[in-house]
Amino acid sequence: MSQPTASGPRLLASYIPVSAGPWLSEADQVFDAGTIFDYIDGAGEVYRSYNMRHLVARRFHKDGRPDIVVDAFDMGSAADAFGVFTHDLDGADAAIGQGSTYKAGLLSFWKDRYFLSVYAEEETAETKRELLELGRTIAAAIPGTGERPGLLKLLPEEGLEPGRVRFFHNHSVLNYHFFVAADDILRLAQTADAVLADYRECGGRSRLLVVSYADPPAAAKAGASFAGAYMPDARQGAGMSTGNRKWTAFRVRGRFVAVVFDAASEAGARARLDAVERLIDGDKRGE
Amino acid sequence: MSHRTITRRDFLKVASAVPLAGALAPSLARPAAPEGKVRVVLVRHEDALDPSGAPRAEVIQAMLDDAVRALIGEKDVVKAWQTLIRADDTVGIKTNVWGKLPTTAEVERAIKRRVMDAGVPEDRLSVDDRGVLRNPVFQKATALINARPARTHQWSGMGSCIKNYIMFTPQPSAWHGDTCADLAGIWNLPEVKGKTRLNVLVMLTPLFHMIGTQQYNKDFTWAYQGLIVSRDPVAADATGLRVLEAKRREHFQDDGLLKPTPHHIQLADTRHHLGVSDPARIELVKLGWSEGLLI
Repeated sequence: MSQPTASGPRLLASYIPVSAGPWLSEADQVFDAGTIFDYIDGAGEVYRSYNMRHLVARRFHKDGRPDIVVDAFDMGSAADAFGVFTHDLDGADAAIGQGSTYKAGLLSFWKDRYFLSVYAEEETAETKRELLELGRTIAAAIPGTGERPGLLKLLPEEGLEPGRVRFFHNHSVLNYHFFVAADDILRLAQTADAVLADYRECGGRSRLLVVSYADPPAAAKAGASFAGAYMPDARQGAGMSTGNRKWTAFRVRGRFVAVVFDAASEAGARARLDAVERLIDGDKRGE
Repeated sequence: MSHRTITRRDFLKVASAVPLAGALAPSLARPAAPEGKVRVVLVRHEDALDPSGAPRAEVIQAMLDDAVRALIGEKDVVKAWQTLIRADDTVGIKTNVWGKLPTTAEVERAIKRRVMDAGVPEDRLSVDDRGVLRNPVFQKATALINARPARTHQWSGMGSCIKNYIMFTPQPSAWHGDTCADLAGIWNLPEVKGKTRLNVLVMLTPLFHMIGTQQYNKDFTWAYQGLIVSRDPVAADATGLRVLEAKRREHFQDDGLLKPTPHHIQLADTRHHLGVSDPARIELVKLGWSEGLLI
């Protein structure tokens, strides 16, 4: 995992061009996890939840045209750059960096340990063209690439919707994507790594949540906490029919907890957990 | 955890096969509603904004006047305001200066004018947002007027009247836990407790969806041209939330629910007892332009 240096913000700023077509840049603003609220108020919590290190904000101005704003985040690791990118996956793939979306005047992408938001205050054909060009320029200037979180390897491929995979560390973000419980019953606590993925089911969609904890005892405690709060009358590995006539099941394996929500059948939920378990065991053998 | 947490299964038991309703489930445990209802006034005017989208000051003033008259049940606007504000009050008007969608100077001026009409001299009146803790008028304030625009928010779900008081705390981020669940606790701080006489949720061009770091795109605003006015901040927010969700349903053709859930509004009622969030306990008075009302 690469670590930022004292020159982190300067390095990050060096990846952003000083002009974008006829737009010229203004002075950079630099924020860290303690000062980001000065820039985007409480919304900064999203980026803090992914362990952001620095943000370089550069505004481009051209009289008579909408401003363009580049918000470039050094997230400290490629896993968290990927994670914060997955917070909002709506939009069309712009084929920029290691993953990107474009929608309504906003280009988002990640590359290496960086997450970029390139935004036009008003979408026009010209700003869209400039945003995409700016994004391509920045992506090309970032020399390295980064690895997606290893936890994604524990997602069985069958039925997986690749564009609907989220990586995160706390229950507020989990609830943003899929409400599980008001409290942190899975003990994510900002220290765990978690991946939530959507799976196609006949007539609907199920979710698979896989959480990686520091060690097996932590996973066991989290599993017990989840079972006690969410499905106190179910055995581990057994399914529980929920009020929507779908099935939930969970399993603890080593330092991992896996939960299937909204499966069409108990057998389907168990089969998905079996597949996760095989991937965990295979991963261990590869270590 | 000493208390029983609310889980997805609680929703499913209550509303089988129905999307998550409203915000979160703590309302399930709400005690029986009292007989009285809280009054909220929604006033709209089709000419509140000029063709460029700027508020028309005279229309905003008339809307606010109509709303306060209806809220208080008093025909004379100055008398209505005098039931809210005493001449010997020191008054802070807590505004919101977020650059992309501020309270607007027109709303601030309309409130200020009527506070002065109620007898408060200008030197005992101040309009402020981020400087409220350092502002001498706010430090001595005996009365507060709370005015802010309605918008979605990436962490609290909704930028609400309740949330507007976060600047009265020395460390706003200390209130961000569980996506701002306990914002209503701010209203118990000595700087604000018991001082709020009126809440104005500005619905001129609400933001019903947000994207990206900047959280704003003009395409996700619309000219609703309304104000929501109430003495109860929770009831004002709950009503504004209904409008935002209705707009989202219309636009996205889905359940319309905000992400993250603005559960701080419901918890302001059920946990903090600051006001009323249940529409069944709100008397909604609708005035003016009815096209595109949504609720």
